[in-house]
Amino acid sequence: MFLAIKEIKHEKLRYGLIIGMIVLISYLIFILTSLALGLANSNTAAIKTWQAESIVLNKDANISLGQSLITKQQAKNIDLTKDQAYVGQSSVVAKSKGQDQISATYLGIDKNQYLYQDLKLTSGHKPTKSHQVVADEKFQQSGYKLGDQVSLNSISKKYTIVGFTKNAKLNVAPILYGRIIDWQAIKGMGPNLVASAVVSKTESTKISDANLKNYPIQSFIDKLPGYSAQNSTFTFMIAFLMIISLIVIAIFLYILTIQKIPNYAVLRAQGVPAKTLINTTISQSVILVLSGLIIGTLLTFLTAIVIPTSVPMSFNIPLLSLVAVGLLITSVLGALVPIKTILNVDPVDVIGG
Amino acid sequence: MPTIKLSNINKTFGHDLSKVHVLHDINFQANKGELILVLGPSGSGKSTFLTITGGLQTPSSGTVFLNDEPLNQLNKKALEQLRLNNIGFVLQSYNLLPYLTVKEQFELADRVKKTGNLTDGRFDDLINVLGIDDLMNKYPAELSGGQNQRVAIARALYTDPEIILADEPTAALDTARVDEVGQMLKSLAKDRNKAIVVVTHDLRLKNYADRIYNIIDGKMTQDTSNMH
Ligand SMILES: Nc1ncnc2c1ncn2[C@@H]1O[C@H](COP(=O)(O)OP(=O)(O)OP(=O)(O)O)[C@@H](O)[C@H]1O
Ligand SMILES: [Mg+2]
Repeated sequence: MFLAIKEIKHEKLRYGLIIGMIVLISYLIFILTSLALGLANSNTAAIKTWQAESIVLNKDANISLGQSLITKQQAKNIDLTKDQAYVGQSSVVAKSKGQDQISATYLGIDKNQYLYQDLKLTSGHKPTKSHQVVADEKFQQSGYKLGDQVSLNSISKKYTIVGFTKNAKLNVAPILYGRIIDWQAIKGMGPNLVASAVVSKTESTKISDANLKNYPIQSFIDKLPGYSAQNSTFTFMIAFLMIISLIVIAIFLYILTIQKIPNYAVLRAQGVPAKTLINTTISQSVILVLSGLIIGTLLTFLTAIVIPTSVPMSFNIPLLSLVAVGLLITSVLGALVPIKTILNVDPVDVIGG
Repeated sequence: MPTIKLSNINKTFGHDLSKVHVLHDINFQANKGELILVLGPSGSGKSTFLTITGGLQTPSSGTVFLNDEPLNQLNKKALEQLRLNNIGFVLQSYNLLPYLTVKEQFELADRVKKTGNLTDGRFDDLINVLGIDDLMNKYPAELSGGQNQRVAIARALYTDPEIILADEPTAALDTARVDEVGQMLKSLAKDRNKAIVVVTHDLRLKNYADRIYNIIDGKMTQDTSNMH
């Protein structure tokens, strides 16, 4: 530790540059992880707020909410308790005078069921009447206000925004929660339909209809359009980035060590134990990587403050800590690569004369 | 029992056509209380001899004994301990760590060898004699060649080893300082009963030596003209 710190203090520029490199690498990984998580969140945020464990869909709907329909007939075969709720889904384009159009998902919910009752608002009130909606904060961020009249698709009768809520995003689109009694009209289907699906807080819902099927919520999430593909793309990107960063950091630490061989040779000639040299090397890389990570974390927090809300970013502290610990461990492993070189330093090669 | 004994040491580098025979059948002895000078021109094999003696490299054949113990029987760790506790090296170059001040070079020695180093009083005497007492907060790069060498000598003596091996310790010193260093090494050998081997081409040190060996083209002979 003594040698490690003294050397860093004396070689400020060299070690400063290395810390700078680690800052950039960790910053890049943190931001990318947060972006990936942000995107994943905007796919599933609403589902999380539902606290759903399972979902009942039409068995021919390919686990897609948009394709699933439940008829009145089928609905009779579903055993609804307080843990189940109807959802009527329809893709809509919302527009309002003087505002940008927003592609959204209309979800009709039943005021006697848990989804409606558990709905948490950031402002306004829940839809008490037909033609009222609660909108995701995305609408607010785009300039929509309480009381705004919104037309959905080309339906002539307008809807009024009576409340706003957070985290109401499904498959990246913001949600408009409305009364399920309005849903059929928006969906443009006959009156024989009850809902698109039944979500449930329990692991499964009792159904006695061959055309309906229970799915665990995770299967439903995995089948959200693009969701799995995005996730695996990001996972691979981050994994490759981590591996390449490891190699880059290891190479830097290796070059650093090679440059120090004359110093190590002196120490070996003086009989300084190999253990001391290894401790120095490891504590030096821990100091470098830790300082880099700390600055990288600060930069990430700054970014989190200034980044526009339109960029979906989610800063998950446990996950980022895990990434940081991973970087630290891999860097220490990287620093261990030249250990053999250190142990085999031949003082004579350097000192000669 | 001689403190240092080399018997039939040979050292070759390289193979076949590029093979160079640097040391030829070297026999050498040094005892406690003696200051031994090994004189030879550049390239004669002085540094090679000294590093083999101190266990920094191994001979191609022959054996080095320190206190009757053959070095080739010691493992790396034991050699390390030997260098830490029993041998003080003053090397021809690169003796100091560039990122430690002079003071910290000694502090490092304290950290790796916790006991048996010079007491404060004796350390003060040492740095006074070497004239480095006002250099304590400087980095090696801020010192002249001679100052560097004097600090290196102090560093080697600091751990109070019984054997001191010095390679050209006076190369960058003026004559007055050479006399002081020569005097100091000699009294160290006498008063503190150390075995001191100095390899050099600096004839100014001749007056202080108890015995002198000459080395030319890797062949060592004892110089009897100076015996007293
Ligand atoms: N590792 C090595 N490989 C090949 N040849 C070497 C090696 N080390 C030393 N030699 C050769 O051995 C000879 C003696 O070298 P050494 O360094 O011992 O000389 P020296 O007497 O210390 O010289 P100087 O007074 O210049 O320091 C030289 O010819 C040198 O080229
Ligand atoms: Mg030499």
